[in-house]
Amino acid sequence: MSTFIERAKFSCALGGAISTVAGIHRAIPIVHAAGGCAGMLSGSYNLAAGYRGLGYCGGNMIPTSNIAENNIVFGGEDRLSEQIEHTLKALDGDLYVVLTGCQVEIIGDDAVAVAGKFKSQNVIGVSTPGFLGNALKGYDAVLSAVARGTVQEAPVKDPLTVNILGVVPGHDVFYRGNLEEIKRLLGLIGVKSNVYFAAGETVEDIKKSGNAALNLVLSPVSGVLTAAAYKDVHGIPWLRSELPIGPTGTRAFLLQVGEALGISKALVEKVLRAEESYYYSYLERIVDIYSDLDFQRYAIVAADSYYAHALTRFLANDLGWIPHLTSINDIEGEFEREEYRASFSDINSETKPIVVFEQNAGEILNRIRESWPLNRSQKYYDSLSPAYVVGSGIERDLADKLGAAFLAVAYPVSNRVVLNKGYAGYRGSLTFLEDLFTNLVAAR
Amino acid sequence: MSKYTDELEYGFTSALAPPVRETRIGVCSAYCGTCAELNRDLKTGCAQLQNRKFAQSGGCQLGLAMGIASSLTRSAVVIHSPLGCCSGFGGSAGLRKTMRASKGKKDEEFIWAHTNMDQLDVVNGGTEKLKEAILYIDKYSRPEVIIVANGCVPGIIGDDIDSVAKELQGSVSARIVPIHCEGFKSRYVASGYDAAYHGILRHLVEPAERIERALPDEGKDAFERYRISRTVNIFNVGSNSNGDEVELSRLVSALGLYAKVLPLHATVEDLSHIGEAGLNVSICATHDDYLLGHLKERFGTPYIIDTLPIGVVNTNRWLRVIAAEFHLEKEAERLIKLETTALEEAIEPYKKVLAGKTIYVGGGETRILTTAQYFSYLGMKLLGVKAHNVDRFVEEFLEETDGPELSIEVAAGQPAEELAILNRLKPDLYCGHMGANGWVTRLGIPVIPLFGQSLNYMGYSGAFELARKAAKAIKNTNFAKNISSNVSLPLRQSWFESDIRDNIKPDDLL
Repeated sequence: MSTFIERAKFSCALGGAISTVAGIHRAIPIVHAAGGCAGMLSGSYNLAAGYRGLGYCGGNMIPTSNIAENNIVFGGEDRLSEQIEHTLKALDGDLYVVLTGCQVEIIGDDAVAVAGKFKSQNVIGVSTPGFLGNALKGYDAVLSAVARGTVQEAPVKDPLTVNILGVVPGHDVFYRGNLEEIKRLLGLIGVKSNVYFAAGETVEDIKKSGNAALNLVLSPVSGVLTAAAYKDVHGIPWLRSELPIGPTGTRAFLLQVGEALGISKALVEKVLRAEESYYYSYLERIVDIYSDLDFQRYAIVAADSYYAHALTRFLANDLGWIPHLTSINDIEGEFEREEYRASFSDINSETKPIVVFEQNAGEILNRIRESWPLNRSQKYYDSLSPAYVVGSGIERDLADKLGAAFLAVAYPVSNRVVLNKGYAGYRGSLTFLEDLFTNLVAAR
Repeated sequence: MSKYTDELEYGFTSALAPPVRETRIGVCSAYCGTCAELNRDLKTGCAQLQNRKFAQSGGCQLGLAMGIASSLTRSAVVIHSPLGCCSGFGGSAGLRKTMRASKGKKDEEFIWAHTNMDQLDVVNGGTEKLKEAILYIDKYSRPEVIIVANGCVPGIIGDDIDSVAKELQGSVSARIVPIHCEGFKSRYVASGYDAAYHGILRHLVEPAERIERALPDEGKDAFERYRISRTVNIFNVGSNSNGDEVELSRLVSALGLYAKVLPLHATVEDLSHIGEAGLNVSICATHDDYLLGHLKERFGTPYIIDTLPIGVVNTNRWLRVIAAEFHLEKEAERLIKLETTALEEAIEPYKKVLAGKTIYVGGGETRILTTAQYFSYLGMKLLGVKAHNVDRFVEEFLEETDGPELSIEVAAGQPAEELAILNRLKPDLYCGHMGANGWVTRLGIPVIPLFGQSLNYMGYSGAFELARKAAKAIKNTNFAKNISSNVSLPLRQSWFESDIRDNIKPDDLL
């Protein structure tokens, strides 16, 4: 059973579903709910995902059945049917996805069945009421429905094609930049990838994604249900992986994919050496200022499980920062928490991070206080300083209270604009370092 | 009072929830035609009974209610719903800092919680989680006020947030304010303002206790009575800026009156003195007739709901009605003369640039009609307006408009219809509500926002700023041109070519 959450870093399943559809080129959501849900939820991602914008058909452009109190009493299926019919006339899309809100699910409307009547016109229906859970649930609901209903059967698999799952548009504020780097890296070892949401990928590519030899799930939480749907319907096996950030993460990622697809290790190693050499040729630029000004920091990471370990490992293993505390906000089960905690065994710095699971944003400060001797106004005090908080936008106040530097990476991010940048891979980690260090020199 | 509210009754605060505006005021939320046609159909009542075949998303009254309630100083919010309702807080929480800083108020961390209702809660009810959340917030951040807002899910399954508030009130230090603002209950999203003010009226507007002087002092008492009788409460709204408040306060003070700005960003202490005023003045009828009507009942404070002080004509009119209440007509005329003389000189260069340029205005009903009137005043040619809703508060504007053939669309959100109209009218400039401007940019038309929380629009200084802003927008229109050539809209060509009046239909409720 879920509990209340203080300052949740999520919208609901419908929000995640809308954001996921908005990530697909020329896809159009049709929301069966009260009039405000679609616009408000899409608006959350417009402002809180690095000003991602409304997209092709977001915000108040989203077709909505706009049900009211009388529909709550008499049902809204007829209204939805009328709305779909007129949407097809008015709006030009390659895929129409009917999504449902809480109201119509409680009264028992069968929106998926109504959508089914328009199947020949590229309409699919997905049940996505907010009470299903957080945004990640909406992502999986939409993509599993796509895997079951839109992706075409492909009896012959291409041994060097993979699908990338678990990267939730908008919830990963840097999703496009991240996916483009992952696609580039996989291309270097000869692997074609469907990433769904990057520039140049279309609904046609998604329809053909059934020919992949492997699905890679880059998150411990999202993407698993979709991978299961692909396995079920298209017989594609899946592998849990991780968002690769920086040399350590990317090396592990490419070696894992290479091994799974039977790619020659020599080829992968050759690519890794070239990429690492590229990475260090740029990292070298900050060696002097890093050393002269002492840019080593205590790192406090507060993020969802998709980013938390990946960021911590980069900061600790690659950058040489001191990983003090990492707080994860999206894993609830005890077993899953222990499994995730175990993943930190690959942190190879002398100091290991304290790993906590905390849904309530305000509690992170308490966990930090418990983790460090209090200042009792003694003459000499070993403070948790200099520190750097890498979290979501909500952690800005935490950083202020700690006197720490701050960079917002995890959703929500509303204090900076994100266009094509990403933090994945070698190139993304250089961008991450630019952003981290820019904050340290910004006042000059 | 106001001729618009003469037939309205208040006195709803003994009920747990306010009536929605559809029943309380009556509203047209779907219309497409000319001003003259709308005027005719409003009178017959037909305009109020329309809906659309192809509908798009609008707003949610929960969002508007929270815009008001969450602004209160030292307040925290518990949203009783799944995680999506008000998830926009994640992106807007930081704005509290800039808003408060712009008003010179102390920085505050904005704290909120969701009860995070799930499938089990839909079946079993979620009041236990609501209790836990309230107790946690009270202990964690010790706010003065805990706003409890209920979304659609508890509204449909029947969770009783008022009983929870009553039960816990004795165990927490904050005042608990339940607000009923389920989105599905009203398509007229301004119902959310009534919902917020209903909660505030019921739970926060308690007159401050008067402490008698130890030594009687009739002189001081008389002065205090005088001060109160000359105090004007100006009711601010979420879409006005600190610049607007400073300007309107300056003008009211210039008449020799005491200006106070309420209720957004107010403290509980400020609210306890809300009844100590000689006059309550609205700057936007859509926002606060419910509050002003009830304050009249409770404290006997007369109120003015007339126009929105945007542009020269409406700022003059706003000042004149206030001055008339205090028999300060002469003073008002002197002030108006002084202000308009200086302003006319200042806007002369902009009038030259803007003369003959065409414009279209979209947004809240009073705001767009007053803003449009000002653009006409500047010598621009008004091609049409789009109102979120139309109700009694703008009937007079519609009757007075110089262009009975002027295109008017009534729709909250719904950019498809508006874009089809704009594609035909092709104005030189568009001035619109948040959420609309981006679509119009994609159509290739340069835009300026209708309001902005850091920009001055109201009063004489606002008139200057708005003229300056309109003139600035046409100094370089490349952004809209480049976007429209390279970014596509989802609307089909056939939609642009169709008669969008066909999209309007009689409401199913009939």
